[in-house]
Amino acid sequence: MLRVRRILESDHVAGWAFAFPAVFLIFLFGLVPVAWSALLSFQQTNLISPPKWIGLANYRALAHDPLFAQSVEHSLVYTALFVPLSVVGGLLTAVALNRNIRGIRFYRLAVFVPVVLSTIATAIMFLWLLDPNFGLVNFLLSKVGLGPYGFFDSINGALYTIVGMTVWGWIGFDVIVYLAALQGIPRTLIEAAEIDGARSWSMFRNITVPLLGPATLFLVVWSSINALQLFDEVYFLTKGGPGTATYVVVYYLYSLAFSQGIAGYAAAIAYVLLVAILALTLIQLWIGRRLVYYAS
Amino acid sequence: MTTQILAQTGRPAREEEEREPSRFLFSPWHLVLIPIAVVMLIPMAWMLVTSLETLNETRHFPPVLLPHTLAPGNYAAVLQQAPFARWFVNTMIVTVATVAGNLLFCSLAGYAFARIKFFGREVVFILLLATLMIPFQVVMIPTFIIVKDLGLINTLNALIVPNLANAFGVFLLRQFFRTLPVELEEAARIDGASRLSVLFKIVLPLSGPVLATLAVITFLWTWNDFLWPLITIYSPNNMTLQLGLTTFQGTHQTATNLLMAANVMSMLPVLLLFFLAQRWFIRGIATSGLKG
Amino acid sequence: MARVALRNVTKQFHGGTRALDDLSLEIPDGEFLILVGPSGCGKTTALRLVAGLEKATSGTITIGDTTVNGVSPRDRDIAMVFQNYALYPHMTVYRNLGFGLRERRTPKREVDRRVREISAILGLDDLLKRRPAQLSGGQRQRVAMGRALVREPKVFLLDEPLSNLDAKLRVQMRAELKRLHAKLGITTIYVTHDQIEAMTLADRIVVMSAGQALQIGTPQEVFSRPANLFVAGFIGSPAMNLLRGKAAARGAAGTEITAGELRFTRAGVPDGEIIVGVRPDSLAPVPADAAGPAPPAHPTLDLEVDLVEPLGEQALVHGTVAGTAARSGAEEERAILAEATSRAPVTAVFPAANLPGPGDRVRIRVPPDRIYLFSAATGEAIW
Repeated sequence: MLRVRRILESDHVAGWAFAFPAVFLIFLFGLVPVAWSALLSFQQTNLISPPKWIGLANYRALAHDPLFAQSVEHSLVYTALFVPLSVVGGLLTAVALNRNIRGIRFYRLAVFVPVVLSTIATAIMFLWLLDPNFGLVNFLLSKVGLGPYGFFDSINGALYTIVGMTVWGWIGFDVIVYLAALQGIPRTLIEAAEIDGARSWSMFRNITVPLLGPATLFLVVWSSINALQLFDEVYFLTKGGPGTATYVVVYYLYSLAFSQGIAGYAAAIAYVLLVAILALTLIQLWIGRRLVYYAS
Repeated sequence: MTTQILAQTGRPAREEEEREPSRFLFSPWHLVLIPIAVVMLIPMAWMLVTSLETLNETRHFPPVLLPHTLAPGNYAAVLQQAPFARWFVNTMIVTVATVAGNLLFCSLAGYAFARIKFFGREVVFILLLATLMIPFQVVMIPTFIIVKDLGLINTLNALIVPNLANAFGVFLLRQFFRTLPVELEEAARIDGASRLSVLFKIVLPLSGPVLATLAVITFLWTWNDFLWPLITIYSPNNMTLQLGLTTFQGTHQTATNLLMAANVMSMLPVLLLFFLAQRWFIRGIATSGLKG
Repeated sequence: MARVALRNVTKQFHGGTRALDDLSLEIPDGEFLILVGPSGCGKTTALRLVAGLEKATSGTITIGDTTVNGVSPRDRDIAMVFQNYALYPHMTVYRNLGFGLRERRTPKREVDRRVREISAILGLDDLLKRRPAQLSGGQRQRVAMGRALVREPKVFLLDEPLSNLDAKLRVQMRAELKRLHAKLGITTIYVTHDQIEAMTLADRIVVMSAGQALQIGTPQEVFSRPANLFVAGFIGSPAMNLLRGKAAARGAAGTEITAGELRFTRAGVPDGEIIVGVRPDSLAPVPADAAGPAPPAHPTLDLEVDLVEPLGEQALVHGTVAGTAARSGAEEERAILAEATSRAPVTAVFPAANLPGPGDRVRIRVPPDRIYLFSAATGEAIW
């Protein structure tokens, strides 16, 4: 009896009692589905009728699917543009904002606000801003003799337009991280470098940027992961179009699973995406380990 | 409100206050910062202006920058022509419930992982962290099936239940709790407090900043979520704001002034929260970046 | 190598604090000058002004023959060792040492030669490939010095470079610094709050308080001829004993000074309130077999012993004497043991043989030529 009582009052019970709700929810909705998705990817299912086991057929089909190949290409192009633009842009903007001049709080706020806006709200704003007939941007372009451009309707330009729009929306995130990192550089280090004779550019290149290594690595990994998951903007603005010009992997996945009821195939795509993200992240971290110095 | 997040090391605080803000009215950096600010603010300004225009003025080319007649009635029109208020309330319910659930469950779990040695603690924690690496799209379909089997499709619960606890929140709180001096909790336990009491009466009151950060980040993420509501909700009356906005845009494609008004209204709570709770937003983003 | 001068330098910070108040210093070429004083006295600010890390509100700063007021640190040809060393954490020791030279476009071969030369002098040869995080405190300190010296600057500035080291290492590094200075002869300005460091290393000391230089002189001068009460109380360890007293003229015999039980005469002292100071090592116990009152030439005091601290060959004897204590302004939160009584605390240095115990009464002898007098109103020394 005493033994039972002791177990009930023990740390093990208490620990599990506390942790259980969160762990249960996270495992149920975060871990179990991972395994389940694997199962689904080996099946043919429309989520309503009973599924049929087809082994690796989905994966084999992926290798020959031209729309999938296009989606992958678009996702990669998007990522290859979005990540450098937002990270480098974020760094330069953070450097510009890391000073104590008049009105600096206003400038910082202006850069941060777009981050809290939802993807849809941002997309709606830009839809109107870039309107081919009445949009402000085309108006300004016409003043210098350019345009009008279809932006989201242009086969060649739609993806780049989305790049521009999402960089606008997310650069504040990079700025916040970089600002914190910049302000974490001990002032005596900067002073020592000044005394040693470093001029602005050399200071930036030899002191600032290396010391920002961890922040840069984080932002590159984070931005890449998010970029590969691009969806909301594509769904809302272009539905993958014009034609298939903005088909990205997650959009293809969504349309397969929830528009066309081809869930098994979609699950296979999801798994490929997972592997791709993990691989990319590992590569980036490995490169990072060799290049980035971590202050103890 | 300061946006200087971290104190600098290596210099006493006294000198920090005394570093002079530039006495110049105009520093060359303004030449760089003003265009940046303009680019950042123009889309929102343009949206705001359009939301107050009449329909005719929106169709004007060149675009009208300062409307001759203001049409604030647009806002009321939005409320009449779509279940906008409903969407707003739905989103509020889902968001508040999710934030509350997270604060509760992540605190409990975070505390357990931080302070209680229990069987399997390390393994379970690593698994939790692993879930952070997984993109949503992988779990999306099975989660949909689970939610469907629970009969929650097309209800607000579909949006709330799967998100009641977030691995990021558990991680954040555990890290924070570990920095608190354990002596406080030990003293309380010696005084006879149960673990639950210690958590709620001693630890949580000291955790204001991190709880605020978690609340704000969860609020933002939930309010802005689109993909999951898209999949699980189909009746207009049960939609959240983001979802509702897309259907509104579908039906009011040419009524851009109304669309902009709807957009403005959808942003207000988040903007308001941002201005009030800047510090927590920024701290949340900055710390996730620095520990990254 | 160059001389440095600060002329009428004032530094007022934006928040209103006046860190330096009309400070003037002339430092000849090759001198090792130490700025010493309690926290907040302005010594670090003065150093930073010479470095160019802060701008003077008024006054001129010259290095060599040039006024450098508007000149940025990198163009002043100075080098600095920071209290926390400020080594570049992402660079190896070798690159840390060579950074300044590379920034000045020194050819690679020359950089290598000078880095290796300094590394040999400072004993860093084995550490060249390591990063600062892999070094001990003492090693980091030497790298910081090496980085400064490798550029062969005109002026060498040090901001409390030894304060982060443990006591033993500190003593070692002090000797190293003295040797280095003897060998290289660079004009050096050194800041510390530790007056022992100041006394052992400096050619001249500047005792500072509240933004002003209270006395400038050699260690010996500052010790045996303090210009005012603050300097007297700050320099010397244990601190000088201070008593309130009165001076009353007695015609041709001179002025009679009384402080508690103490009574003696001296010429040329103005009437009025006065503060009497005696260093602990000037006090000695009267030999036990002396009988009767001492001749007036050697006044004595009755010391009631509170506490004895043995130090090996000597001991510190803390106690109280009749009289009222005076404060120099340089006290570091010393608890006044006899606050509650009407007696004044006094410390004496006794030889270790025949030490008294707590509660004992001992007669101590006060040599009149070792007594310092200060004006109670201004704190200035009275000679």
